[in-house]
Amino acid sequence: MELSSINKNNIRETVLQAIKKAKALQPALNAVVTFVDVEEQLQKLEMMDPQLPLYGVPVVLKDNVNTKGILTTASSRMLSNYIPVYDAHIVEKLKDAGAIIIAKASMDELGMGGTNLSAYTGPVNNPYDTTRISGGSSGGSAVLTAAGVTPIAIGTDTGDSIRKPAAYNGVIGMKPTYGRISRYGIIPYASSLDHVGYFSTSIEDACVALSVLAGRDDRDMTSSYEAVPNYLQSLNSDMQGKRIAIIDNVQNAITDSKIKENFNTLIEQMKQRGAIVESVHLNEDLLSVILPTYYILANAEATANHSNLDGIRFGMREDGDSVEEVMIHSRTKGFSTNIRKRFVVGSYSLFVENQDKLFRKAQKVRRLLVDEVKHVLDTYDATIVSATGSIAPHPQDSIDEQLSSEYLIAENHMILGNFSGYPSMTIPSGFVDDMPVGINLMAKPFDEQTLFNLGKAIQEETGLKGKTVEVKL
Amino acid sequence: MKYETVIGIEIHCELKTKTKMFSGAPVTFGAPANSCVNEIDLGHPGILPCVNKEAVRLAVMAATALHCEIDPLVKFDRKNYYYSDLPKGFQITQQFHPIGTGGYVEIESEEGVKQIRLNRIHMEEDTAKQFHNEAGTLIDFNRAGTPLIEIVSEADMRSGKEAAAYVEKLRSILHYLGVSDVKMEEGSMRCDVNISLREVGTTAFGVKTEIKNLNSIANVQKAVEYEIQRQSELLDQGESIIQETRRFDEAKKATVSMRKKEGNVDYKYFPEPNILPIRLADDWIKEIQEHLPELPDARIQRYQSDYGLNDYDAGVLVNNRDLANFFDCVCEHTGEYKLAANWTIVELTAALNKANYKMDQNPCDPKHLADMINMMKAGEISSKQAKTVFEEIMLGKDPKTVVEEKGMKQMSDTTELLRMINEVLDQNPKSIEDFKNGKDRAIGFLVGQVMKASKGQANPAMTNQLIKEELSKR
Amino acid sequence: METKDQAYFKRLANQLMFDVSDQEIKELQTEFEILEEQIKMLERINTDGVEEMIYPFEQETQFLRDDVVDHTIAREDALENVKAVMAGHVHVPKVVK
Repeated sequence: MELSSINKNNIRETVLQAIKKAKALQPALNAVVTFVDVEEQLQKLEMMDPQLPLYGVPVVLKDNVNTKGILTTASSRMLSNYIPVYDAHIVEKLKDAGAIIIAKASMDELGMGGTNLSAYTGPVNNPYDTTRISGGSSGGSAVLTAAGVTPIAIGTDTGDSIRKPAAYNGVIGMKPTYGRISRYGIIPYASSLDHVGYFSTSIEDACVALSVLAGRDDRDMTSSYEAVPNYLQSLNSDMQGKRIAIIDNVQNAITDSKIKENFNTLIEQMKQRGAIVESVHLNEDLLSVILPTYYILANAEATANHSNLDGIRFGMREDGDSVEEVMIHSRTKGFSTNIRKRFVVGSYSLFVENQDKLFRKAQKVRRLLVDEVKHVLDTYDATIVSATGSIAPHPQDSIDEQLSSEYLIAENHMILGNFSGYPSMTIPSGFVDDMPVGINLMAKPFDEQTLFNLGKAIQEETGLKGKTVEVKL
Repeated sequence: MKYETVIGIEIHCELKTKTKMFSGAPVTFGAPANSCVNEIDLGHPGILPCVNKEAVRLAVMAATALHCEIDPLVKFDRKNYYYSDLPKGFQITQQFHPIGTGGYVEIESEEGVKQIRLNRIHMEEDTAKQFHNEAGTLIDFNRAGTPLIEIVSEADMRSGKEAAAYVEKLRSILHYLGVSDVKMEEGSMRCDVNISLREVGTTAFGVKTEIKNLNSIANVQKAVEYEIQRQSELLDQGESIIQETRRFDEAKKATVSMRKKEGNVDYKYFPEPNILPIRLADDWIKEIQEHLPELPDARIQRYQSDYGLNDYDAGVLVNNRDLANFFDCVCEHTGEYKLAANWTIVELTAALNKANYKMDQNPCDPKHLADMINMMKAGEISSKQAKTVFEEIMLGKDPKTVVEEKGMKQMSDTTELLRMINEVLDQNPKSIEDFKNGKDRAIGFLVGQVMKASKGQANPAMTNQLIKEELSKR
Repeated sequence: METKDQAYFKRLANQLMFDVSDQEIKELQTEFEILEEQIKMLERINTDGVEEMIYPFEQETQFLRDDVVDHTIAREDALENVKAVMAGHVHVPKVVK
C-alpha cells in the first residue's frame, strides 16, 4: 500500500479496512500485539488540515514505541501489563502529521533478537511463506507493511532490526542517521546503537515519512539540529557520475549464487545509468570482530538500560518477602532465558576488572570499524551490498543475534550502520525461490537524500514500487 | 599506643533549582507523595535525561568558591546498582570527569588556619525517599532526580573538631552562595565521614569505617570522637578494625554497625551514552565566577576592616547568614556599626528567641533599628529607653512614633537639667565629699539619682558631664 | 580468570536481580567459552592509542535545559502502573537500609 492510494475523502473507511485486514491476517502472521481504538483519533482528524503529509494514513508502531494509555509491551512478559503515561516523540510527530495509529506490532523481546521468534506473543510469520521467519527485531512492522496493511510502519534498529526484516519481507527498511529521529519514548535496547526508522513500499513514501519523523527534540540530547529537507521534492534518480562502492568482503562471503546474480544484475543496471561502481575491500580482521564487538557493547548497554524493569513502579511484579526477592522473582519470570543470559554477558563485560578487555576494547574496535567505513565514504557517495546472504530462513535454520565462532559477515555487516550512525537503507531487489531479497545502501551522515535517490533508481529498475503480497490464508 | 586519626568526608548537597537534574518536574519540599514527578523521575521505559542548566550553574558556583579547577566539558556516567529508591537501576553521576577537581576549604584548627584539600566536586541525582513502617516500606519519588553535588575531601582532618569545623565551613560557604538550603536535619545536606586510625609516625592508612546519618554538625564531632575512642580501644586490645558502615545513634551517643562491606561493590561505571559531552561557554563560566555572592571569609574581613567589628562579633554575625544580611541592612542607615552589631547580635536574637521566630519571620525593620540607634547616639533617647522602643519596633512600629507616643524625649535642656543636678547635689553632701576624696564612684551614684529624679528622661551622657562641671565648682 | 562454576553464574545473575536455572547455567558456560575465543580475536586487533567510541557522533553540544517546570504527571498517572499502592506511595516489603 502506498500513501498515494489513500482516499482522503473516506479516511474512516480506509482506516477500518486496514484494521480489518490486519485482524484477518493475525492467524497467519501473528504480527499484532495490540489493536488500537481509532475512534478518538478519527474524531480529532476532523479538525485537521487534509493537506497534512500523513492525513488519515493508517500506521503501525513497533511495540517499543510508547503510546500514552495504550498497552506497550516491547514483546516482553515483563512489560505485558505496561500502560505508558506518555507518548514517544514520534507518536506526537505522526499524530501532528495526521496519521492514525491502528496497531502495536510484535518484535523480538525488548528488541534483543533478529528473528522475531522471541516475542512474548509468539513468532511472527513471513507473508511470502508463513513457514519462514519474518526476521526481527521489527518483524511485526515489516510483515504488516509487506502484506499491504499500512503504507508506513515504524521500526527500530540496533543491529539491523529494520533492514534485515525489510530484506526478508520485500519492503523498504530505512534506518536514518543517528540523531535524525528522536528516541524519546522508545523503549531502548542499546542507547548508542539504537535508531528509530520505518518500513514503506516506495521510495516516495520513505521520503515523506522521514520529513515527518526527523528533527531536533530537546528531550533527546543526542538528537540533531540538522535541518530537515523536503526529501521528496529533491528526489532524483539520475545516477550519472554517482560513485558507489561494493564492499567485496560481504559479497565474497555470499554463497547463494542466485542472490549473487540478483545483486550483479542490479549493479550492471546502475552502471548503465552512468554510476561509477567499484569494489572496495575492508580490513578483514576488523570485519571478523563485528559480532563480538556488537555483542559486548549492545548487551552491556542493555543490561543497564533494562535495570529499571524491576516490577516496583510498573510492569509485572511477583511477590516476595523482601524488595530484593520481589525484584529477583519479577525479573526471573519477566525475562526469557536468552535475555537473562545476555544481561549476564553484558554485566560481565562491565566489571571493573573486565572493562579494558571487553567493554572498552569493544568501544575502541568500534572506532576502528567506523574509520574503515568513513574512509570508504570519503571517496564514494554510498556503499552497496546484498542485505542478507540468504532468503528468510525457517525457524530451525535461523541464526539469532548470538555469539558464534563462525565468520558471518554476510549476515551481520549491516551493524556497521549502527556503529557509525550513518544512514542505511534496505530496498527490495527481486526474488529468489519466490522469496524476496534486498540490497543494502549506506551513505554519509545526514545524507539520506543520496539513499533515496539511489533507491529511486533501483526501484525504477526492479519495478517493485508499491509491491505488497497477498497472504495465502 | 598513640594514634593519629585520619578523616575524610563526603558531602551530598541538594541544589536549589526549580526542576530536577534531568527532568522538567518540580523540586518541592513537603509536597504530597509522588505529586512532583514525571516519567523520567520514575524511570519509566523509554525516558532520556536532559541536563538542567541551573544545576550546572550552581555547581560551577560551588566549584569556584571551593577553589576547584573547573572542567568546561561536562560529561556524565552511569553508576549501576539495584535498589528500590533508585528508579532507573542506575544513577547518573560524574565518575570519570567531575565538574570540579582539587580545591580546598580553610578551617580554624588548634594550629591556626588549616587547608582541607578537596578531591572533587561532581553533579548527580538524588534517590527517592523511603519510609519504613510495620506494613512495609513506602516510596515517594518526589525527591528522585533532585540535583545534587557531592563534595569529596581528601583525608586531611585529624580530629572531631576539625571534622565539625570542615562541615560547618562548607555549609556556610554553600549557604552564602545560595546554591543549597544546607539543612542537615532536613537532609538537603548529608554527610558521610570516613575515619581510620594509624600509629603516630606511620603513613599507611588504617582500616576505615564510614559513618552515615549525621544530621547535625554537633553529631559529626560526637560521632568522630566516639569512633576514635572505639577504634583506639580495639587497637589497644590488639584487635583489628572491621571495614564497615556505621551510623550515629543519637540516644546512645554511639556509632553502631549497619553493615559490613564485603569487598568493594562494583558499580560497573560507564559513560552515559544518552548525554553528549556539553561544552560550557567560557563567557558563561566567567560571568558566573565574576558574580559570585560574597563568601563568609570575605564578609568577616569586611566587617572588621569597614565596620571595625572585633573578631568575635564579626564571626557571630557571619555564622548566621540571615542575621548578617540583616546587619548589613541596618548599616545602610546608620554609621554606628558597633552599636548596630550589638543590637543585632544581642537584643534582636534574644527577642526572636523569646517570640520563637525564625530569622525569616523577623518583624524588625532594619531601618527602624538603625533610626533607633541614631536617636540613641544623638542623645534623644537613653539606652534604657531604647529597650522599650525596641520592644515596639519588634511589633513593627516606627521608633519615632514610639518616642512621641510615650513622651520619651530625653531631657537635654541644660537649664532644667542643671536645676535638677544642683538639687541632687544639695541633698547628697556625702557624695560630694567622697568625690573630693578621689572616689569617682560617687559620680555614678549621683547620675543615678538625677536619672531617678527625671524619671529616666535625663540624657545620661550629658548628666554625667554636667555633674562633673558642677562638682568642680563646689 | 576465575573458574566459572555454577556458583559463579548464580552470583552474577543474583547481582542482576534474577535467577538462572541449572540448564541456563550450562548454556552460559558454553557461551562463555565462545566469548573467551572472541575476546582473543578482539585482543588481536591493535587498539593502541585508539580512543573509546562512546557515541556515534562525538561533536560536543552546548544545549542545557532551562530550569523551568514544564512537565509533571498527575499522581494517579504516576501510580497507575504500580501494583501495590499505599497512602499515595509505592508499597514494597520492608527494606532495611
